[in-house]
Amino acid sequence: MKQVININFQGRVVPIEVTAFELLKNYTESLNRHFANEEGKEEIINDIESRIGELFQERISKGATCITDDDVKAIIKSMGNPEDFEAMDDTAGASSASSSSYSQQEQQASSTTSTGHKKLYRNDNDKILGGVCSGLANYFNIDVVVTRIIFVILLFSGIGFLTYIVMWIAVPSSSTEQIGGARRKLFRDPDEKMIAGVCSGIGNYFGINPWIPRVLFLLPFLSFLSRWGHWGGFWDFGDVIRFTFSPTSLIIYIILWIVIPEALTTSEKLEMKGEKVDLNSIKASVAEEMKSVSKRAEKFGKEAASTINEKASAVTSDVKNFSKRSRGGLGNVIAMIAKIFAYFIIGCVTFAFVMALIGMGIFSIGVFPLKDYILRGPWQNIYAWGTLLLFIAVPIIAIITWLIRKIARAKANGRILGWTFGSLWAIGWVCLILLIGSIARDFKSSSRLEEEQVALVNPQVNKLVVTSSMPFSKKYYGRNWIRFEPFENLVDEDTAYVRNVYVEITRSPNDSFQVTMKRQARGNTRADANSLASLVKFSVEQKDSVLLLEKGIAINKTDKFRNQGVIITIYVPVGKQIRINKGIGWPVHIGRDWDSEWNNDYYDGEQNIRWQSDVDYIMKEDGLYTIDGRKADGWNDRESSSKKMSRNRNSGGDGYRYDEFDKKADSLRRLDEIKRQNKLDSIEKAQEKLDSIKEKIQNSGTEEPGPVSMYRMPVNDPMVEIR
Amino acid sequence: MNIENTASQMRKGVLEFCILSVIKQGEAYPSDIIDKMKAANLNILEGTLYPLLTRLKNAELLSYRWEESTSGPPRKYFSLTPKGAEFYKELETTWFELANAVKALTEAEQVYSDNNNFNNPQ
Repeated sequence: MKQVININFQGRVVPIEVTAFELLKNYTESLNRHFANEEGKEEIINDIESRIGELFQERISKGATCITDDDVKAIIKSMGNPEDFEAMDDTAGASSASSSSYSQQEQQASSTTSTGHKKLYRNDNDKILGGVCSGLANYFNIDVVVTRIIFVILLFSGIGFLTYIVMWIAVPSSSTEQIGGARRKLFRDPDEKMIAGVCSGIGNYFGINPWIPRVLFLLPFLSFLSRWGHWGGFWDFGDVIRFTFSPTSLIIYIILWIVIPEALTTSEKLEMKGEKVDLNSIKASVAEEMKSVSKRAEKFGKEAASTINEKASAVTSDVKNFSKRSRGGLGNVIAMIAKIFAYFIIGCVTFAFVMALIGMGIFSIGVFPLKDYILRGPWQNIYAWGTLLLFIAVPIIAIITWLIRKIARAKANGRILGWTFGSLWAIGWVCLILLIGSIARDFKSSSRLEEEQVALVNPQVNKLVVTSSMPFSKKYYGRNWIRFEPFENLVDEDTAYVRNVYVEITRSPNDSFQVTMKRQARGNTRADANSLASLVKFSVEQKDSVLLLEKGIAINKTDKFRNQGVIITIYVPVGKQIRINKGIGWPVHIGRDWDSEWNNDYYDGEQNIRWQSDVDYIMKEDGLYTIDGRKADGWNDRESSSKKMSRNRNSGGDGYRYDEFDKKADSLRRLDEIKRQNKLDSIEKAQEKLDSIKEKIQNSGTEEPGPVSMYRMPVNDPMVEIR
Repeated sequence: MNIENTASQMRKGVLEFCILSVIKQGEAYPSDIIDKMKAANLNILEGTLYPLLTRLKNAELLSYRWEESTSGPPRKYFSLTPKGAEFYKELETTWFELANAVKALTEAEQVYSDNNNFNNPQ
């Protein structure tokens, strides 16, 4: 028993079963969707409808009481489903073997949903989880078992899981293309857009207010802006990481902007908002399911028989190529995986390259105000601009252009653009090399100026505190958001400050403090370097027990930066104390093992290890100690660099344990030289003893002592002897 | 490359030419066109024919007139416009050239001569 209703179809009253009417309605809706982009859409649909009306009339005139489901299905079959038209467009009428049908010759290219590409769908009809694997198998024309095995293998490496989830989300279900099964698709919403409609599209997709994704996108960005002010003084690596982290939302937004299509047509807008899941659509999707197996088989036969789409990008077509051949053997499957892997690596390298370029670009823009202090003459300026514009900016622009062209599918002039960018970049390389070469020449020679004595007001103090004076106003502090070693953050209008101040502490030959200053610079020739060095102005001043050093060396635009620097050597008398205040900002050497070429081994970090600022140190015969008796590391007095001392240094670990033990016992706080010498001797003895024990053990070979007990031997033994 | 795809591409190329040639023989109603093409063993879905006709009409190659039908709604009868006739002429020339060339290439010894066969697909 079926209900029959009368409908007014193309001006005629047609009695039709309710279920048949639903089928008909879904069919006309699907036609509407399909021809949404077509010029003269109404006319086409009207023509088809009037043809359907005619066919209805035919049935009724033949004596049928009403239009049944079967009638409608037969009519739809003869007219063809939109998905059949599309399949014919996409796969170029691949079904011709069975029905030898023809498809339209052309389709408007403006549509985002019905361009001539074969589309990747998750297969709803043959799925285990989300239908990703079978969808991929359909797309690449391979057996679903192969894709599933690949995913299971990938699963162990963790990539597979993520890829699967991403594809599950990103790839539309095949049911979206079936009548009545339309589900929400992610589109950018042009009607409610703020920038590109990404957020409102996401809101539509999840059925939430667009302001929720908007706020989510803005939150990290706001914190990024708020942190901007902090950058002034503390540009270190950690900040670089946070810097790239903060605009993540911006990058994600841009990627989404590129990836998500805009909802242009009414049907896309409907798809974007999702069809209401009501009785009708459920019924329709059930009806779709009930379609004969042969129909489905035919449909997938079409897809399976389809082939490389020439419009598809090179990558996918390559992969498809491989997958096609992969029917042949496992070797080809491996080759395909290798190819995918290779593309992945190339992609990563390209990405890293672009990021590096952008980083360099940001860095050079930040450093650019300093160029007047470094570059000399017009040529170096030309090279610098050439490097900035051609070497750094050109590839960034080229890659952006390439992306845009890729998205817009522009084909014309690709080669010309490629050559243009390529040659510009080559010029950029030349500029970079010339710039580096020319600057390197300016830094070629180092100065040889004698050390000069700094007059001290009161050289007899018991404790000297070294601190820095701030000669420049705070006005310019924090203005620059990037630091370029050794430039200070403070760039005045025509003066820059460099932090090239090195402090060395060594033992004084007599009982008074002495301070010497050695001025340094580099230049094209030694004479240049010497004259530049003699121009270095650096004030060292003693006020009571405080030694005031300037924070930086002023560089002006005429003399340029040629690594001007000073080495301040503080001679500390035995028994007197010295303290370096926190935040002086320059590195401190202990001892004097540098020579005139100190620049080279300055960065040998060992020199500065364990030197602590804001700690009182005391000078002893053999070096600098903290008040509680620990040796200041890195001490390397020339006078004591005898064989014995070097031996001591080699077994430094032992000596250190010594001191630790002493500290605990709180008895040997101030060892005099004799005692110390005893200790050293005993260490040697202990080591000899250890060696002999070791030998014995090895000779007897009965019991292998653990490494721990072996290590402890020399430490504990002399202790006992000393006590 | 795939045989069905290539074959289909070939057929796709001549579809408009075939439709025009059916209409050229006299005013035609879409289902007539379908029938004639079916008779010539050239199967086409009606759903794909209507958009094509509309495009050809929009390109001013075809015109139509309404005719009352005894059964069902009025029908559209399509005919060639002068522009369409010209267009058809050019397509025809191209087709014969192409057919001759293909024939010559595929059956090198026997040069195709009976052009008139093409005027009437039936």
